[in-house]
Amino acid sequence: MSPPPPPAPTGALTGRPFTRRSLLVATLAGTAVAAVGCTGSDGDAADAVTPAQVDQLAAQVRVQEALVAAYAQAVAAAPDLAGAVTALADQAGAQLARLRAAAPGDAGTTGAAPSAPSAPVDAAGARAWLRAQVAAAADAHAAACPDFTGGRAALLGSIAAGLRGQDGQLA
Amino acid sequence: MADDAPGTAGGSAPAAEDAALQAALAAAHGAVWGYGVVGSALPADVRGPVSAAEQAHRDVRDELTRLLTTRRVDPVAAEAAYALPFPVLSPIDAAALAVTLEDGAARAWTWVLDQATERSTRELAVARLADAEVRAVGWRGQAARAPVTTAFPGLPEG
Repeated sequence: MSPPPPPAPTGALTGRPFTRRSLLVATLAGTAVAAVGCTGSDGDAADAVTPAQVDQLAAQVRVQEALVAAYAQAVAAAPDLAGAVTALADQAGAQLARLRAAAPGDAGTTGAAPSAPSAPVDAAGARAWLRAQVAAAADAHAAACPDFTGGRAALLGSIAAGLRGQDGQLA
Repeated sequence: MADDAPGTAGGSAPAAEDAALQAALAAAHGAVWGYGVVGSALPADVRGPVSAAEQAHRDVRDELTRLLTTRRVDPVAAEAAYALPFPVLSPIDAAALAVTLEDGAARAWTWVLDQATERSTRELAVARLADAEVRAVGWRGQAARAPVTTAFPGLPEG
């Protein structure tokens, strides 16, 4: 005897989320573009930033710059790590580029990234050290995220989530 | 830096934020249903993460239902049935479905971040978005996907 047929697919496992997906992605892409292009002069209140937010976004750029530097430092200290973290480092770099693009004016091109303490020279120690840097960056972006609205909030939250995933991967 | 809209009770939150929360609730309903399919395709001895993930989505569902009710918004109900995006015939398929569920949740929460006017809503969204991505990382590994992490959960990569 064959099993009964599955229930008629009336709904939304793919339906609601995925029929909505194209709209969602398109809209998010639009807000991201707006964030990237914003200098506060287009009158878009949802994308406007205060001077304090400009400073805070610049601070998040520096946090991410420090993380990118930490990846390089960890691999330099423990080359055996390279295979395990190259993809993660590339993602951190992509996050930095998008954060810089979303920072109004010169916020993304301010001074040198704060330097982290030197990575241990053994692979296990360097991995644990790197994981701590990733977790700290995720914490910083997650804490900053609610201070923003629109595309910038989405971007900071997404980056924080991506780094949470990296944190778990480095465990 | 605060940009909070006044009030969380009494239905004063902007409609766009509520609509995004409804989308997140719909994703949670779908995930609760979908993890039933994930679990049925996995051996019993490896279903622990399925139960944990399903419970997490039930908790999100209940949390969002309470929040929307507080705002005097009628929470969206679960569908009677859902269409699977692909046949789930193996443990790899099951893990891939779990990735789909978590990625859908991540998109919904990122949209909430984009739309939210209340700080408390963004605090909720950033936490739940991270939860979804952490679960997704585990499932991507089981689905033999590489890399298992993603730079921009819930956002287009471009």
